[in-house]
Amino acid sequence: MKKTVDVAVPIGPVHPCWKEPIRIKCATKGEQVLSAEVELGYMKKGIERIMQGRPWQEVMFLAERVCGICSVVHNMVFIETMEAISGIEPAERAAFLRVIVNELDRMQSHLIANFSYCYTIEHETLGMYLLNEREHVMDLLERITGNRVNTAYMIPGGVRYDLRPDDADAVKATLDLLEKNITRYMGIFESGPMIALRSRGVGVLTKEDALRAHAVGPTARASGISVDLRSKHPTYRKLGFEPVVRTECDNYARIMVRFGELFQSIGLIRRALAMMPEGPVRGGGICKGGEVRYSGEAPRGELTYVVKADRYGRVEEIAIQTPSIMNIDACAHYMLKGALSIADVTATFISSDPCVACTER
Amino acid sequence: MGLSVIWYLKEFCRGKWIKTLLFAKTAPLVDPPYFRGYPTLTGKECTHCLSCMMICPTPGAIEVLREGEKWAPKIYPGHCIRCGFCVEACPEDVLDAGRVLETQHRDNTSLSVRYQVTVNPDTCVRCGNCVVACPVNKEADPQLGASGTSANDEVIMRIERGNLWVLHNEKCTGCKTCETVCPTGAIRIARVAEGRQGVEE
Repeated sequence: MKKTVDVAVPIGPVHPCWKEPIRIKCATKGEQVLSAEVELGYMKKGIERIMQGRPWQEVMFLAERVCGICSVVHNMVFIETMEAISGIEPAERAAFLRVIVNELDRMQSHLIANFSYCYTIEHETLGMYLLNEREHVMDLLERITGNRVNTAYMIPGGVRYDLRPDDADAVKATLDLLEKNITRYMGIFESGPMIALRSRGVGVLTKEDALRAHAVGPTARASGISVDLRSKHPTYRKLGFEPVVRTECDNYARIMVRFGELFQSIGLIRRALAMMPEGPVRGGGICKGGEVRYSGEAPRGELTYVVKADRYGRVEEIAIQTPSIMNIDACAHYMLKGALSIADVTATFISSDPCVACTER
Repeated sequence: MGLSVIWYLKEFCRGKWIKTLLFAKTAPLVDPPYFRGYPTLTGKECTHCLSCMMICPTPGAIEVLREGEKWAPKIYPGHCIRCGFCVEACPEDVLDAGRVLETQHRDNTSLSVRYQVTVNPDTCVRCGNCVVACPVNKEADPQLGASGTSANDEVIMRIERGNLWVLHNEKCTGCKTCETVCPTGAIRIARVAEGRQGVEE
């Protein structure tokens, strides 16, 4: 058979659009991308091996450092796994505080994902506006937990600090500001004709392909699959959670799902603040032995921890499955196939919000 | 042309803008009071209980050193990850970071740690190194045998009848000296921590 590939274009591992090193090899015919292949392995940390043989109070800090952007959810899922192993129930107030901090973390992660996309399609103005809003969210995180990124907020049985009296008001005021500003920026994104040219109909991942590639998180929800593990989480169910789903299946839909989830997070935090009961924030409880597989919804999709602990609560074996690997694969095999231009490859890849540090751990 | 020059001057030579450009000042870079920075000393007396060292998740971040007549913890900023666990674990309030101590007193929260000596009998070669190295053992029985035998019942562990016996697990201070001297990695100290609220020590 005649070879139809003109040139195999490598993108990365060092590329201005990439936040982390990864290489995409695109087989092209003219400007069209015939197929793409992803090469991982530039930043393997071996963090699961470091976690072995350590108690929860050490592993929780390592778990946070799996991913720099969505560090809170790693902390939360690991601690909830240890709670599931040991049969600990978190204090009621702490469960709501966890949701508040987790949703703030999701907001900053979605804002930086949308910033990255805007930056990749060279709409830096909108990107910088979004980063500015992210700063408000980071300030809230710092106010509640004491740190901006690696917050170390959740421990088995509860959380570490309660809200101070003025914190709830500060959170509410900042959320009002964020809602006003993000509505405006979402309008800019929705109605921008140049943005639409780069986003609508580009990088299509149909529902069938998304199911075949096991896409998770906003990438799956933008393809019309209503999958969100938060709808199974007991605290989120109390708050009346409904996943945001869109059916356009393209880059535009993925970004708009994240914008939609920003408003959803704002609503969830407001409801959590209103419903939060008074009481202790630490229920206590000692970690015991056992083996459990537990999943939670990270900003990028389903995050799974498989932990085997010995009878004193030390982690003997641990395996982490992060959402990005699914989305990177879905992107390489389905979204990029048949892309009309090499220039769309970076934008499409970034729209699936890949986190390479999570993927390689 | 003339019109557009006037328009440009009007648009870009606004007094407010020029004033901002010339006199704008960046806010001073100070940490907010709730920022959990490196732990600092509060000035209270350290009792050398080493709780801070035992809870610290990072290697080499905190050490308790002797300064003249007193003990005082020393933080190595290059290693410290500012988690604030040492502040919570200290029973004497020697350290403080951000508002950790303040919330701890307000909510009556604490972090209790229990130590558990675990020995893997399959890899233990009964050399007695752990028994000899243990500082608590040395205090309890100054006449410890070099092979780890002891006639004293107050020691944490001893070699007896060709086996390693853990007698007083509750005396362990979690210093992990035995772990470092064990040639096969058979002895390990489990540090079982629990975050509590409303429990008096």
